[in-house]
Amino acid sequence: MPHESVHTVQSYEQELEQLRSLVNKMGGLVERQVAQAITAVVEHDEDAALDAPEMDPQVDELERETEALVIRLLALRAPMAGDLREVVVALKISGDLERIGDCAASIARRAMRNELLSCPISLTGLHSMGRLVQENLRRTLDAMDQRDPELARIVWHSDTAVDELYVSLFRELVTYMMEDPRNIGPCAHLLFIAKNLERIGDHATNISERVYYAVTGNILPIIRPRGKTFD
Amino acid sequence: MNKIIMDDPMGRDTVLPALAIRNLNFWYGGNHALKDISLDFPVHQVTGMIGPSGCGKSTLLRVLNRMYDLYPGQRATGEVLFDGRNILSPGLDVNVLRSRIGMVFQKPTPFPMSIYDNIAFGVRLHERLSRADMDQRVEGVLRRVALWNEVKDRLNASAAALSGGQQQRLCIARTIATRPEVILLDEPTSALDPISTARIEELLDELKQEFSIAIVTHNLQQAARCADRVAFCYMGELVEVDTADKMFTAPHAKRTQDYITGRFG
Repeated sequence: MPHESVHTVQSYEQELEQLRSLVNKMGGLVERQVAQAITAVVEHDEDAALDAPEMDPQVDELERETEALVIRLLALRAPMAGDLREVVVALKISGDLERIGDCAASIARRAMRNELLSCPISLTGLHSMGRLVQENLRRTLDAMDQRDPELARIVWHSDTAVDELYVSLFRELVTYMMEDPRNIGPCAHLLFIAKNLERIGDHATNISERVYYAVTGNILPIIRPRGKTFD
Repeated sequence: MNKIIMDDPMGRDTVLPALAIRNLNFWYGGNHALKDISLDFPVHQVTGMIGPSGCGKSTLLRVLNRMYDLYPGQRATGEVLFDGRNILSPGLDVNVLRSRIGMVFQKPTPFPMSIYDNIAFGVRLHERLSRADMDQRVEGVLRRVALWNEVKDRLNASAAALSGGQQQRLCIARTIATRPEVILLDEPTSALDPISTARIEELLDELKQEFSIAIVTHNLQQAARCADRVAFCYMGELVEVDTADKMFTAPHAKRTQDYITGRFG
């Protein structure tokens, strides 16, 4: 998230720049993890299924680096106002990104299960949910990179569609399970996958909230518009 | 630009301010140093004033107890309301005013006399106290500034022998000895080490229970630590005033943001 005007102390500016680049790098990596996880599930792609969990240690390492840099900046630079918000938000965003990475790895690990490979159930619903989540994540990361509060707010709103897809997918899978107990195995895995996608959407929403705060200093309402729920 | 942002979530602005500046303009000869400033100093709060050198924050402080009277060619227009009166009006007794609005400067300025007399001197100008009452007053204010234990055995020693931090606390003791309502502090800790600074800051926290305080500081962290409200001045104008919390996390004006994050020109 580059700033319009630069810091008088150049080394401080460089550290802030380093922080932005760490978080951006983490974002890029996690975005790829999510893409690979979805490809693994919908295309039964074994390479992709192996790839996503393998990126996890790199993501974890970037999170640790971000944490260390944030603590250093807080201790040595005592950032204020917009800088303070950016530094604190970077710490929170790195946490969200790390969780997204975990969700993606968890999806990828299920992708090659035999129950899913021989599964007669259509993956269309899951595929569209995956695409939407990916799209939201991409736009969230764009909003972060471009310091665009309006885009952040739009993405924050659009998680509603993910929630709705999740609910309808849930119902569909429950129906399959009721129809034939042999569907329970694959459907249980698909439910977990859908739940993980839904969680990724939530983390992306968190990130857009934080971007909005970092840029504007204002907090989006606590209650976010949500899609249909189970009740 | 002239819009002053007031946003006190505690709603404390509803009480009458200790000092209220209205449309204040100030000139050093032809130099227009303060431009149409309106600002309240709430009772029992610390109001911090920040801004780059030459922005007018010290000038503002000097107006508040008519310090500028001492210099020819300096003049002020507008109003500074204190206890229902405009302190800028020519008929006002500035000596009484300065006993009610005390001031502490950047460098400790002890008088060349004993510790005891440094405090008694100002009190004697305004009050006739018995020896016992004066002793009590001196001890009271020295305790108040947490200096009593350090000096009680050498009250008759020269104040010049005290350390910088002790001298500054003595100056604060001297200021509160005349029982003012408002204390003005101009960079009170810029010549002090961190421990002495922390002692003064702790003292401000305590003193605001009884006095209303205005502090000018270049140290933004100090403003953040001590002040309830913070005013940002730039080139003689008041850019923004708000709670310290708001000013240092999410200031409204871009110039405030640029200044406190160190992004100025």
